[in-house]
Amino acid sequence: MENGADPADPLEREIARTGRELAAAFPPPLRNPVRSADARAMELAAGDAELKAALFRFVDVAPACRSLDDLARHLTGFLDEVQDAPGPVAAARRIGGSRAGRAALGAAAAGGVRHMAHRFIVGETLEDASGTLKRLWEHGAACTVDLLGEATVTSDEADAYAARCDQTLAGLARIASRWPGRDVLERDSLGPLPRANVSVKVSALTPLLRPDAPERGREDAVRRLRPLLVRAKELGAHVHIDMESLDSREAVLGVVLELLSEPDFRDGPSAGLVVQAYLRDSGQMLEQVLEFARSGARTPPLCVRLVKGAYWDHELVLARQHGWSAPVYEDKAECDRNFEALTRRLLDARPAVRVAVASHNLRSVAHAIAYNRAAGGEDRDLELQVLRGLGDELQEALARHGHRVRTYCPIGNLVAGMAYLVRRLLENTSNDSFLHARASGVALDELLAAP
Amino acid sequence: MSAAPEPGIAPPPPFRNEPPLELRRAPVRAGLAAALEQLDRRLPIEVPLLLGGDRAGADRAELHSTDPGEPDRLVARAPIATVADVRDAVAAAAQAGRTWSRVDAGLCAGILRSAAAWMRQHRLELAALALRECAKPWPEADADVCEAIDFLEYYARGAVALSEPRHLHQVPGERNEMRYVARGVCAVISPWNFPIAIATGMTAAALATGNAVVLKPAEQSPGCAAMIAQALAAGGLPDGVLSVLPGAGEVGAALVRDPGVQTIAFTGSQQVGLDIVAAAAQLAPGQTHIKRVVAELGGKNCVIVAADADLDEAVPAIVASAFVYAGQKCSAAARVLAHEAIADALLARLAGAVSVLAVGQAADLATQVPPLIEAAAQDRLRSSGEQAEREGRVVAVAGPVPDRGWFAAPTLVADLPAGSELLSRELFGPLLTVERVPSVEHACDLIDALPFALTGGLFARDPGTVRYVRDHTPVGNLYVNRTITGAIVGRQPFGGNRLSGNGTKAGGPDYLLQFVEPRVLTENTMRHGLAI
Repeated sequence: MENGADPADPLEREIARTGRELAAAFPPPLRNPVRSADARAMELAAGDAELKAALFRFVDVAPACRSLDDLARHLTGFLDEVQDAPGPVAAARRIGGSRAGRAALGAAAAGGVRHMAHRFIVGETLEDASGTLKRLWEHGAACTVDLLGEATVTSDEADAYAARCDQTLAGLARIASRWPGRDVLERDSLGPLPRANVSVKVSALTPLLRPDAPERGREDAVRRLRPLLVRAKELGAHVHIDMESLDSREAVLGVVLELLSEPDFRDGPSAGLVVQAYLRDSGQMLEQVLEFARSGARTPPLCVRLVKGAYWDHELVLARQHGWSAPVYEDKAECDRNFEALTRRLLDARPAVRVAVASHNLRSVAHAIAYNRAAGGEDRDLELQVLRGLGDELQEALARHGHRVRTYCPIGNLVAGMAYLVRRLLENTSNDSFLHARASGVALDELLAAP
Repeated sequence: MSAAPEPGIAPPPPFRNEPPLELRRAPVRAGLAAALEQLDRRLPIEVPLLLGGDRAGADRAELHSTDPGEPDRLVARAPIATVADVRDAVAAAAQAGRTWSRVDAGLCAGILRSAAAWMRQHRLELAALALRECAKPWPEADADVCEAIDFLEYYARGAVALSEPRHLHQVPGERNEMRYVARGVCAVISPWNFPIAIATGMTAAALATGNAVVLKPAEQSPGCAAMIAQALAAGGLPDGVLSVLPGAGEVGAALVRDPGVQTIAFTGSQQVGLDIVAAAAQLAPGQTHIKRVVAELGGKNCVIVAADADLDEAVPAIVASAFVYAGQKCSAAARVLAHEAIADALLARLAGAVSVLAVGQAADLATQVPPLIEAAAQDRLRSSGEQAEREGRVVAVAGPVPDRGWFAAPTLVADLPAGSELLSRELFGPLLTVERVPSVEHACDLIDALPFALTGGLFARDPGTVRYVRDHTPVGNLYVNRTITGAIVGRQPFGGNRLSGNGTKAGGPDYLLQFVEPRVLTENTMRHGLAI
């Protein structure tokens, strides 16, 4: 065993036990006897790189198409580039040969993309999403709302995004005030936890982010984020700053640490940032964050969300194109081990920070729960986070076992959501992903083994 | 294990591009200011006139290069070559070339690769010099050095491969062999906008294939040329194989006309390029070769944005293509041809993106748009801006622009009439025009009507659109869904067609063929009825 973990080790035993317990609480997989077309398409795509590329390119362009005919033309254009097409693909190509066929194909494909998007995106607006958010809460899952949008390339777009965040903070605080009490979701041993929780992207708050020159973008983003923190403080809401690709990490970290050091924010709002365990130097970044958290004595403490990271392909391609060493782990087991090491480091650092472990990997989640218990921590001092549409079953299992779980809920229209959607689909069809492994029937013991 | 390779001609590892500095990492950025300070203490650089193996120039008139962002700062001082210097340099090159052309290709390659290694060791110093002398911001200056290293490494390998006799059809009793040999003295006339990369590239291609070189660098960047010569000398290039003649247009003109020059490698403006082609066609007394001209000229590069383009990607890529290095790249974007379905949205977003461009000194990492190279360029862009205001609509101007230095405000222009010469003249500065087109087909027709054919861009997601544009635009380099600048050696062989150049591709697999002549040997191997 590469990391020397012994299955007889008490922690390993507890991880296995917790993992099996959670797996048993997953909802039965076949609630819908008829699998949706997009789910079948994803299964086909996971096994065929060319088909996957065609499908992704189609999903990517779908919202920019102007008619069903246009949609179908794009779809057949992409499928034409697939060699040895499986039956359904060849059928789609044939149908795309006539105008009437294209209209039918376009309608079917548009439906498929919409269906796919609705799985990951909770609504076009907060109002659309409010029912789902309330149901989640009632089923034992808190939320953090993420506003999808087009890339910010102008100051007007940055202002508009900041305004949307402001409205969302206020709207969510209002909506959430009407939700019933759920003690596990709104209190840990350090005190109350806000119901309204919004995830904010620094890259959307400024058009000036540049990897070679982080200062200018940082100043511009600080200028727009400050009023949002003021508003969150008034409302008693939580603001979480998302992490994106490595190109913006320095600016994002700078924005958060600078603002949270300001005297006005010493006693609120509740705020957090993200550490991406797939980065080889994520341990150093975490130490920097912990040092900040310890030195500032802010209340409430900074919340650190530990994720694996969603830009793995991007980081690797960029590094290869430039001849740089890869900033991310290329080996899944190495990455998983780092995730667990950082989980332990974070849990040990309490109460200087609040800890949120965001993963769909049952082993990583069971490890966090088991280590927390072994270290004498209470379950309520560990938050577990999942993505809407990818972690729904895990969310249900965690809630059933009384864990605090928070679901990342993107809101926005299909055009704006496409980049997000493609990243999620990548994750869902990656041969390395836990979800894919689980769906393809890998044994539970293997999935729960130490990486 | 195979036998140990002979020293000096060990086969090099496979080519790989020199990685640019990873400037997104703070510790990497931290070293830049110190490198610049160190260079500043050495200024002005005294550029020698390298004539054969000698350093001449004590009694010549001088030319000065200055910092475009701080015109009082003297960067380099160089003696201006005289007509007699040109004659002497070509004669010395012809002499040195007789030996150099016989040196084993592997040894030549070793020298070029050693020069590349020297440049690697002096990377920041070279970049700092390009920054000061030509106002190249750090990322651009660093890319210029990387490209120079790439050219040395790439052509070194290519020349070794080219030195192998070519396979020909063989029959019994006869041995056929084709070899490529050096053409003779090569005049390299290089521009200031890639002051290290292009001068190094053309020089390296000629040297690698056994030609002696007389280099006439742009009068704006003699300091960079001096450092290139230093790198090659440090790499072990024998004295006399490279001469460097600083000067302006007269020096280049004399060089082109010299009967001892066999090849002319030129990168620069269309007018000068066409003058060179004309002059090279005139037979001078004593001339024994038909001169060959390698010409990389200007462009009026268009970017098509189709209805299904992803504007999130198109806007930043177009802005970078048009305004990085203040648009002073022959590959830079000049015209956007936007499909009418997305034209309004694109124009609005481009306007917003242009208006927040940071104009400033090249040394400041925050700077996106540095000053232009010289006062004349500033005047030219100023009047183009005024013309745009008269003929069309100025949609966005970035600012503020520093008072001192040759700055020009990045400008976005729309609604120019179809016949406006702003749509056909190369401006070589930070002015981008946007036109609305009814279809991609129409956009291709507009591009096809231009005399230039250097680079082109397309933002579209339908594979059919990509194929159509590929088949209906004559440009030398078509870029899809990305910036249209930044060609990389070995990956994007670079060069234009039509009046943008004679189709040679720098950094490509067949570029070296321009610098050699083929010779065929046919030997009868029948002796006394026996095929041996």
